[in-house]
Amino acid sequence: MDGPDSAADRAPAEEVGIIACWSCKGPVKQVNPLCETCGAVQPPGQMDHYQRLGLAVSFDINVADLDQLYFDLQRHLHPDRFATRSPRERAISQLQATAINDAYETLKEPLTRADYLVHLRGMGVFPEGCNLINDQALLMETMELREALAEAETTDQVDVLSVRAQDDIKVCIEQLSKLFSENDIEGACKLTTRLKYLQKLAEETRIHRMKLI
Amino acid sequence: MAYSDKLLDHYENPRNVGILDKDDTGVGTGLVGAPACGDVMKLQIQVDEDGIIEDAKFKTFGCGSAIASSSLVTEWVKGKTLDEAAEIKNTDIAQELALPPVKIHCSVLAEDAIKAAITDYRSKKESKSEAAE
Repeated sequence: MDGPDSAADRAPAEEVGIIACWSCKGPVKQVNPLCETCGAVQPPGQMDHYQRLGLAVSFDINVADLDQLYFDLQRHLHPDRFATRSPRERAISQLQATAINDAYETLKEPLTRADYLVHLRGMGVFPEGCNLINDQALLMETMELREALAEAETTDQVDVLSVRAQDDIKVCIEQLSKLFSENDIEGACKLTTRLKYLQKLAEETRIHRMKLI
Repeated sequence: MAYSDKLLDHYENPRNVGILDKDDTGVGTGLVGAPACGDVMKLQIQVDEDGIIEDAKFKTFGCGSAIASSSLVTEWVKGKTLDEAAEIKNTDIAQELALPPVKIHCSVLAEDAIKAAITDYRSKKESKSEAAE
């Protein structure tokens, strides 16, 4: 029986094709950054961030698994490993490293992950992503909270707003998980926008607090 | 990145910061936001009996370009008719303030805000005249 080859089970790769290695012409699964036959690094190719890291597409990811998959891949693609290789292979390894970093950075944080997942699942439906807003309730709430923050004169007052923002962020992420699992992309898009505003508010409370100390 | 003197002036000395009574039937309120940067902008107009904008106020939480764009728009709309104010284009704002390309969306936000304020005023006036009939 084959054991799992890393911390998390790799996502099924059926939908990803087999390509010919540019170096030895042998077959390589597109998800593999290195040729199984000759070990040459392969160009990043077209795939989504989840496929690239070997994760199943979901909003709920285990960050420890994500870290493990990312570090495993980066270890194989470290520039030092290609120092003696041809310029072409060095250049390809750079592209791979960049693509993997990109995927990791996007999936690591709930906000960028939610934004990406809406884009991935709702492509064509939300061409602007979650960057348009007509949610007056959210805007009013944001305006009130930002006004309250602007008027806060003590760290205690700021902390009340900060704690509220953190609590709201937590609830928002839980709700996002539910909506994504129900495949309610429209609802998830709306909540992703809310999460953006909440994170901005949390960031502003940090900045405001520093000014008061 | 160098910002224009006009932009810096509006940012450092914003005109017409404040609020108008949103429940006043002569007041139109536009509330808009740019989620990408977490900005929120409120722009209000006070319209007289002849349909001329006699006062405008704004409150913006966002970057300097968003503040300057909304400040500029409040200056521009005063004394204009609603139709004239509705013709303000984001490109006019961006040009006047010499906004860098990455900040063009701030001028779009200001255009959206004035349009939303005009729409709000008109819908309030309509429901008022309907109620009077």
